[in-house]
Amino acid sequence: MNERDEQIVRLLRNVIRPMEDAELARDLWPRMLDKMKGTAIRVPWFDWALAGLLVLLLCLFPAAIPGILYHL
Amino acid sequence: MTAHPYLRAYMAGIVVPTMFLLVIFAFFWVMRFVYNVPIPIEHVLVFPMALVPNLWGVWNILYLRMHTGRRLPIGLHGAMLVFVLSPIGYLLVRAQQYLIVPSPLILAIFGGIMVIYYLVWKYAVAFLNDLLGISS
Repeated sequence: MNERDEQIVRLLRNVIRPMEDAELARDLWPRMLDKMKGTAIRVPWFDWALAGLLVLLLCLFPAAIPGILYHL
Repeated sequence: MTAHPYLRAYMAGIVVPTMFLLVIFAFFWVMRFVYNVPIPIEHVLVFPMALVPNLWGVWNILYLRMHTGRRLPIGLHGAMLVFVLSPIGYLLVRAQQYLIVPSPLILAIFGGIMVIYYLVWKYAVAFLNDLLGISS
């Protein structure tokens, strides 16, 4: 390490303060779990019925599949 | 995240159809070149390739633009897009006289697309809007 490098290291140490008390004040994982529960997607029965209807439609009219794909 | 809301709405709108384009290309490619379906599909591929993703983006901008108290739910807003896209797609196909679709099939296609659009807009586009800071 030359004199210039040592100068950079010295400058960095002056600018960046050493970490004090690196431990978390509280456990964040339960909060994360709460957030995940809160944002879980709830699919109402009506949407399931629509999805079922779509599957039924594709089974009854398989020739419609290219036409449907054409619009996606 | 408040800058360029319409650009973000456009980007959120085009994600799903752009990603799905690979599936469509693969499907039509297999039909045309593996099963030798005698329809020059490449002539009408401009519709799913260019028009559909762009109109999805514009439709999402429109959704953001209608920022009033009584805004239509995003699923219904997405399903309404079928009334714009389907006639264009149908005219494009008919203009080139490649495909004559029987009437019951038209109804099945129309209904199927409406259901897909409703579900995709309600879950996928709404999720992307939320991710990009656009209120759903």
